[in-house]
Amino acid sequence: MHQFLHVRRVLFILLFLSILLTGYSIYYKVKYWNFGLTPNKMTDVFIIDAHVSFTALDGPVKVSLATPKNDSNYKILNEDVSAKGYVVEAKDKEGRAVFSAKNKKGKQNIYYRITLYDNEDSRGKIREKAPLEPKAPLYDEQQMQMIDNIFEDIQNMEGDFAQKIILIFNEQPLNESVSALLPVKVSLKEKAAFIVDLLALKNIPSRLVRGVYLEEGKKETLADLMLEVYEGGRWRLYDLRTGQEGLPKNFVPFQRGAISLLDVEGGEKSSVRFSVLKSLTSSFAMAEHRSKLTSTGKLYAFSIYNLPLLAQNILKWLMVFPLGILVVVLMRNIVGVPTMGTFTPMLVAMSLVQTGFFAGLTCFGIIVLTGLMLRSLLSKLNLLLVPRISAVVIFVILIIEAMTIIGYHFDLSISSSAVFFPIIITAWIIERASISWEEEGPKNALTEIFYTLLTAVFTYIVIESEYIRHFTFAFNEINLVILFVVMLLGTYTGYRLTELKRFYPLVKEK
Amino acid sequence: MLEWLFDAQKLKKLGVLGMNARNYKLISKVNKRRLYPLVDDKVQTKELAIKAGIATTQKIGLIEYQHQVKSFKKIIQQAPEFVIKPAHGSGGKGVLVIKSWHDDLFMTASGKKLTYADVYQHISNILSGLYSLGGRYDVALIEEMVHFSNVFEQYSYQGVPDVRMIVYKGYPIMAMTRLATSQSGGRANLHQGAVGVGLDIKTGHTLNAVMYNLPIAIHPDTKADLKTLKVPLWKEHLLIASKAYEMTGLGYLGADIVLDEQKGPMLLELNARPGLAIQIANSNGLIKSIKTVDKFYPQNLNPEQRVDFLLNIDNKKTKSILDD
Repeated sequence: MHQFLHVRRVLFILLFLSILLTGYSIYYKVKYWNFGLTPNKMTDVFIIDAHVSFTALDGPVKVSLATPKNDSNYKILNEDVSAKGYVVEAKDKEGRAVFSAKNKKGKQNIYYRITLYDNEDSRGKIREKAPLEPKAPLYDEQQMQMIDNIFEDIQNMEGDFAQKIILIFNEQPLNESVSALLPVKVSLKEKAAFIVDLLALKNIPSRLVRGVYLEEGKKETLADLMLEVYEGGRWRLYDLRTGQEGLPKNFVPFQRGAISLLDVEGGEKSSVRFSVLKSLTSSFAMAEHRSKLTSTGKLYAFSIYNLPLLAQNILKWLMVFPLGILVVVLMRNIVGVPTMGTFTPMLVAMSLVQTGFFAGLTCFGIIVLTGLMLRSLLSKLNLLLVPRISAVVIFVILIIEAMTIIGYHFDLSISSSAVFFPIIITAWIIERASISWEEEGPKNALTEIFYTLLTAVFTYIVIESEYIRHFTFAFNEINLVILFVVMLLGTYTGYRLTELKRFYPLVKEK
Repeated sequence: MLEWLFDAQKLKKLGVLGMNARNYKLISKVNKRRLYPLVDDKVQTKELAIKAGIATTQKIGLIEYQHQVKSFKKIIQQAPEFVIKPAHGSGGKGVLVIKSWHDDLFMTASGKKLTYADVYQHISNILSGLYSLGGRYDVALIEEMVHFSNVFEQYSYQGVPDVRMIVYKGYPIMAMTRLATSQSGGRANLHQGAVGVGLDIKTGHTLNAVMYNLPIAIHPDTKADLKTLKVPLWKEHLLIASKAYEMTGLGYLGADIVLDEQKGPMLLELNARPGLAIQIANSNGLIKSIKTVDKFYPQNLNPEQRVDFLLNIDNKKTKSILDD
């Protein structure tokens, strides 16, 4: 009794530890490797094409394009350039892509393609050093008067200072003082430059940001513009039209501040236009790249997810078995139904996954019934055990052959699925059922087959589910938990469900 | 209809032993695995029983290899009647009782006529493992036929009942006999419709009788009043069961004992994992008896002393102490 409690306690501690480990691992994999809890979690992958075009002036050409960095919203999966006749130089410190050619003339096209994906795990974590204090711009007295008016007018508005200024520059109709300051036909860029100046007057560092809104199907559009203001230890982005604060989820900055987006030496009429393409990739496929950027890249490299695809598929199939085994243990030791052979239901369930449920059950039923009929003929011949079971195995093979041929010719998929059933196991089911039939009657034999199939069906339900298969593969530590649950069930000494019924007369009498 | 689902507590209170508890708490604790072959192999059991001075059926011969099968008639030359059984069989499977034979014609106990080829086939089946656990190769044991005492005749439809006793640490704690019916096809399996009769462990008198788990008063075929059944030579039965403990070293075992008309009770076979149906036949759980033995029964007695102790102890007293 004492030893019994001891074993249980040890197993409970191990179970508890394995639950902790699994829990942490699920948390980690979801957060840092972005594994989905369900199989269909997808990651958006964006392809941005920057199309640089210009006219070369018949001489050496050097083009430099600002490019995005890994930032808090997006991770860079891949970069690619297509620039015929140009030398592509390594990116410089500022992360600009530089292309050069000795002698070019006429219309030139250079393509820079970058593939990005959502950086879920580190959103909002990137901080930057404080910039230098901005240089206050110089204004004449009249302009200063207008500016003071503006500062006065915005006092009653809502939002922070930067937002107020953006809003007043976007008022319809335009604020009088603002319209006096700005030229008649003002571009967004000019407006933005003015806002930067006004913020500098108040000693608030700010800069313009050029980048691309990730909108699917975007074709050959100009760079989008935003305002970035340094406040409270970090740069905050503002929408120049609405004053909305914060980095929009779908904005990828290419260039910030005074430096240019595109420089072309030896060319004119240069422009850069962007196209965006969105594709969906399963989060799982992106996990490898994601993990490389974390400290657990090595761990990932040694995990099953880094194996060749074939090995992964086999393991994915294996990883779900412990749960199927748990079902068998539950059915036998907790429910208490008799099955033919301990893991026969498990093997039948595996075949059902291959064949499909109803097709498989029908097909299996036909094989077993035909087998039983042939086996009853064998009984009359009084063969020895080993040759007899061998004969049954050959029966099964022939039945499967016949069904497959019939299935092919009459286009019956039910019949064709016969090949997926394990021959030896099916033969043993027939042999056992036949002996049970002869010795203890057909009722007994059919009951045994019924319970074997029932357990197989429950096991099938578990191992067939794509959700469960994904979960036990992506978070395969769960199998440790199942191991200790199975071992703990090995110490379960309570009644089986069927025993409650079996011994019920004792209760009723008393 | 499903009220049975909610009575686990009541079963526990009654001390009903479940399969999981039997395997984990009982058998794995008091039965050493290395001792199993002693009872799983009927040849070894027989030799041990003879050594321990327990009456058992006489061995006539043993057929171990296929090539010996054709000469089985040499072995039985001197025996007008005999039984062929698999040494590793269980539950009476593969037992062939030959009442008389002449030349190539064999008469079974149930009156079936068999040819030489039939018997040859049966022995071959035994050797190839048809009746043994897990289908492993077996040997065929040929032994003397028991001349069953006719005291049970009116209580059983065909077949001859034996007495099954559960022995815990050398003390018989529960007993039953199984009576074949026409429903059970002359077999003694309770789930096939045989009558289970729980016997008073002190007297061998009927306590309770069930068929298909339901209480029953008279035998459905012979119409005998089951309450009147009393196994004669009960103390001798108890002694055989009790001796099986020293003989095998198994703390928990089932002993099957048959009553021969001249030789008295004889050990038929032992079982290291006896079934739990005996509780239904007795309408009582095993756990209380097991606890009583653990608590009140001395562990340093020889078999005779144990049987005397068992017959004299006042169970009302121990029961009241346990219940408190």
